[in-house]
Amino acid sequence: MSIVPYSHVMTLATLLFVMGVVCLVARRNLIMMLLGLEILLNAASIAFVGASLRWQHMDGQALALFIMAVAAAEVSVGLALIVAVFRRTGSVDPEVLEPEPSTRQR
Amino acid sequence: MTFSPMTETSLLAAVCCSVLPLVAFAVVMIGTRNRRRLSAGISIGAVGVSLLCSVFLLVRHWHADEPLRFVGTWLISGEITVPIGVLLDPTSLLMLVVVAGICFLVQVYSLGYMAGDPGFTRYYAFMSLFAWAMISLTLSPTLLQLYVFWELVGLSSYLLIGFWYEKFSASEAGKKAFVMTRLGDVAFLLGLLVVLVEFGNLDILELNSLAPLQRMDPAVITLSALLIFGGIVGKSAQFPLLTWLPDAMEGPTPVSALLHSATMVAAGVFLFARIFPFFRLSSTAMTVFLLIGTVSMLLSSTMAMVARDIKQVWAYSTVSQLGFMIMGLAAGSFFSGVFHLTTHAGFKALLFLCSGVFIHAFGTNDMFEIGRRGGRGLHIPMVCMVIAAAALSGIPPLSGFFSKEAILGALAELDNPVWLAAGLLGAFLTAYYTFRLLFIVLFPRRQEPEGDGDGKDGGHGAHDPHAHRQEYRAMAGPLLVLAAVTLVLGFAHGPLERFLHFEGAAAGGHGPHWLLYAALGLASAGVALAYLEFGLPGAAQVGFVERMPALKKLFAERWYLDRMYRWLLDRIVYGMVSRACSFNDRKVIDGGLDGLSRGTIASGRRLSSLHGEMIQYRILVVFAVVALLVLHFFLQ
Repeated sequence: MSIVPYSHVMTLATLLFVMGVVCLVARRNLIMMLLGLEILLNAASIAFVGASLRWQHMDGQALALFIMAVAAAEVSVGLALIVAVFRRTGSVDPEVLEPEPSTRQR
Repeated sequence: MTFSPMTETSLLAAVCCSVLPLVAFAVVMIGTRNRRRLSAGISIGAVGVSLLCSVFLLVRHWHADEPLRFVGTWLISGEITVPIGVLLDPTSLLMLVVVAGICFLVQVYSLGYMAGDPGFTRYYAFMSLFAWAMISLTLSPTLLQLYVFWELVGLSSYLLIGFWYEKFSASEAGKKAFVMTRLGDVAFLLGLLVVLVEFGNLDILELNSLAPLQRMDPAVITLSALLIFGGIVGKSAQFPLLTWLPDAMEGPTPVSALLHSATMVAAGVFLFARIFPFFRLSSTAMTVFLLIGTVSMLLSSTMAMVARDIKQVWAYSTVSQLGFMIMGLAAGSFFSGVFHLTTHAGFKALLFLCSGVFIHAFGTNDMFEIGRRGGRGLHIPMVCMVIAAAALSGIPPLSGFFSKEAILGALAELDNPVWLAAGLLGAFLTAYYTFRLLFIVLFPRRQEPEGDGDGKDGGHGAHDPHAHRQEYRAMAGPLLVLAAVTLVLGFAHGPLERFLHFEGAAAGGHGPHWLLYAALGLASAGVALAYLEFGLPGAAQVGFVERMPALKKLFAERWYLDRMYRWLLDRIVYGMVSRACSFNDRKVIDGGLDGLSRGTIASGRRLSSLHGEMIQYRILVVFAVVALLVLHFFLQ
């Protein structure tokens, strides 16, 4: 029916998602974590679009549009927060957002 | 239910008789705990009315042939109906009067004895409870109802024996009495269950008819009779459960008087008399009863020969007299046992009450001490005690003589002469230890034969003379009444025998003529021996038993029964059963629970490290969980 088989689309989405997770979890940089989030969102979008093509259903494409809008908003708010964090602490390491180890509940 | 007016009045009187003390107990416990005179008044009033009702019933039904029985339904559960009601027949009527009378006299006496005690109102409340339980027990028409009140009697005697609960020995004695009687009660309950399963109901009149013979196997009858007798052994302090009674004198002396005469221990013999025709169906069981009665009578008589504590002597004599009653009953003579129960109630209460006066006045239980401090100076109790002691020894014309004769006559009719010999020996020993005590109190010596007198402080010191005289008067009244009863009750032998006679009862035993002289001779021999050893001026006041150290030790240690129980308790119960139980408790139950909670906490700790770190680890966990969930849902 279509040139790209559904399984390939899903494989791509999965790969992107895994890459996003790795980026989100492994990088010690808030900006890179935000990027990871973006990749996650895009992976989801691809999955939606692929699924909408597979079942000939428009809802998936609508959701992809929504995700783009949300991603744009998220990036703007997220970047602003990161700037604020950097101004306050002078670092973009996520660890600076953690409470002090001594006050942490074990 | 409708009754003729005649029976209706009787029912009303019987219910009044039994319920009033309960009402008094409730009122005193709830309402008037702080008002001593009012509480005592309510309690004595209630028992007084009970006494009037019971005398009224006795007079009214003196010539009644048919037992009166009123039964209603108490509760229904499935196929089982539990009846509750009242049974009026000669046995219960006679016992009713005895119980109510003794309760009343003892309560009046307690006005003097317990005056100034901090637990005065509590004492009267418990006394009322006791009276209620025992009166209702005598009126019970079924064994189940009897059992309920049987336990209530046990409870109230526990409360009263341990009345001075600040004293360790008193609370221990209460516990001991409770536990040991409970041992017997377990057997009793099992016996009831056997009867219930095999016979179908527990109605006393039906059990006493010949119906059990048709519906039950003879072996089952023997089994149930023996089991029920277990309850009697516990309650009436027979061998081998006899050691609780001598300890039970830790309670106030009037309580002992009540306990030893009409209520607690009498309940056992009363139960025997109550279902006497049923017991008689099994001759094997009767022989066992006879044996147990004989053994307890002789054992406790020997214990009484070396006791120094005045109340302890009477306690042993109670055990031996109860054994005597059981011998009489088991010998097949219903009348002799019940008659002795009645006369014994009178003179044993009198003995205890007299001793109570001495204890109250001198603050010691030791008979040598009482004698030295001038026990003979208190004339009324001394005279009363001589009367009662003579009755106990079976000296004519006092009540004890007649009832003992009846029992000995019944024993003489048995084929085996051993029983009669044992009975005569018991009569001799009884006379000996009774008069040993009397002579020690009457003819005090300056110096002690041995210096190990342990004066137990049972009374409560001296008050000012005026109050003391008033108390003395309150105590002397009941003494005189009981002494009068002891003097005349023996002559009621004939009428009582006709009254108690029922179809198929063996005629009261009148043994051969020589028996009368033999019994009299042995009793006087006992008295004479006691006089030689204790009464004669210049006598050493050391009994022939006390000259033999081994024998003395054996008797004073109660034939090592207590030691044996202690050993059993320590080795078997504490050492094995309760240790196993506590091991199970600690290791299995507690350990299991602790392990469970410890495991939960530890795994929680371990898991908490998953989300305790910085945000990226938490996100990782979230993804891992999501991935696992996906695996779970899609791959199952």
